[in-house]
Amino acid sequence: MKKVVILGGGFSGLATANHLVRKTKKLNTKVILIEPKEYNVYEPELLVWVFKDKPFSSLTKPISKILSPRVTWIRSEATKIDQNENRIFLKNGENIIYDYLIVATGARMAEEKIGAICADNVCHFYTPEGAIHLKEALKKFQGGTIVVTPTTVPYKCPPAPIEFTFLLDKHLRKKKLRDKSQIKFLYPLSRAFTMKEPAEKIEELFKKRDIEFTSFFNFETVDKENNKVISLEGEEIEYDGLVFIPPHEGFDVIKESGLGDREGWITTDRHTMKHTVYDNVYAIGDATNLPVSKSGAVAHFSSNILVKNLVSEIKGKEPKAKYNGLTICFILVSFHKSMLLHFSYDYPPKRYGLNSSFLYGFFKKLFKTVYFQALIKGYL
Amino acid sequence: MTEYDIAIEVDARGSFCPGPMMELIKAIRQSDVGEFIALFSSDEGTRVDVPAWIKKAKHELVEIINKDGYDTYIVKKLH
Repeated sequence: MKKVVILGGGFSGLATANHLVRKTKKLNTKVILIEPKEYNVYEPELLVWVFKDKPFSSLTKPISKILSPRVTWIRSEATKIDQNENRIFLKNGENIIYDYLIVATGARMAEEKIGAICADNVCHFYTPEGAIHLKEALKKFQGGTIVVTPTTVPYKCPPAPIEFTFLLDKHLRKKKLRDKSQIKFLYPLSRAFTMKEPAEKIEELFKKRDIEFTSFFNFETVDKENNKVISLEGEEIEYDGLVFIPPHEGFDVIKESGLGDREGWITTDRHTMKHTVYDNVYAIGDATNLPVSKSGAVAHFSSNILVKNLVSEIKGKEPKAKYNGLTICFILVSFHKSMLLHFSYDYPPKRYGLNSSFLYGFFKKLFKTVYFQALIKGYL
Repeated sequence: MTEYDIAIEVDARGSFCPGPMMELIKAIRQSDVGEFIALFSSDEGTRVDVPAWIKKAKHELVEIINKDGYDTYIVKKLH
């Protein structure tokens, strides 16, 4: 019997586990998922949820309801991976031998690195705890300057800070606080987004909505006593509220096991999804060092390739499937409108539509259902 | 061609903008004042972004060498 261990049960780990167990039904294979958390959180909606009056439970589902019963779920986490012995050591004292390992540990929010842990008027929406804090801070906000900035790259869902900024503008207008508020968006590049064409549209909308944009602002530190954020380029910008995107990095177990690069991202072949050194190790999702966005869309498309390749290997065939970097990306520009981009390793971003309430409707009303009912279950 | 005592080499060939610039910024953070960094890039957007960022960040773009189908940016960290 071949034993496949999947380390991490976020979106990519769960989708891969469910897909793989279906594809290996007739093969002599055991699929084991290692994940300590009880719930999966629908992360794409965190940045909308902070403005809405909904319970946090509206964003979550128990893993027991998502994961196929044919997957063996161990509620623990890895403390060490020994790829020479093909063995994983767990926090609960167990250790597991694998034939194949799929690492889906995701990204760690390394807030401590910049001394900007969510507190008082400084926060983010990248973790449930952060989003809950931010929601309360927004309720108390009565006017002033709110600064939005990433702190490092890469980070999950590149348009998220832009989307948050647009939603913040709408929220403050609705609350009749916009006249008493300034919104400042700081970005490390010369333009407001990584890609040129959408960046032009975003900057145009920023101007129209009186959102101040500062380019080439590479976050260096935050002076919480004086409410100032300071850049590598030497600029200082004052705030009453700071919404930052926390630094992301791989988990310590990846760094310490020698599977990752300096920042703990797993060195992954961009086409096959295999580890660049260890032949029986694959990686998926935000934990990889793929030169594309850290997003659910990338995890979804590349997971299909990973499963095809691993099933081929289990059958004793050569893994031939290749991921081409396909990414699809929604950018919300208000609570009711969005633009949609697609791109890959081979072609730059193309826009499907702009300010389309239809696309927004698709994203908002259908996508969460698609996520829980199809994508995370390894269909599509 | 001038020889430089390069402290950090960043090979960002095949990566599209803003990849090369962000790699350069990482290298700037990791290097010491006075050190030279060499950035290799085959991306055209880098030709606009990197000089503009270096100007704003007040470092020195010592030279851009175009050879073998890619550009090498020699950057000196000034502060």
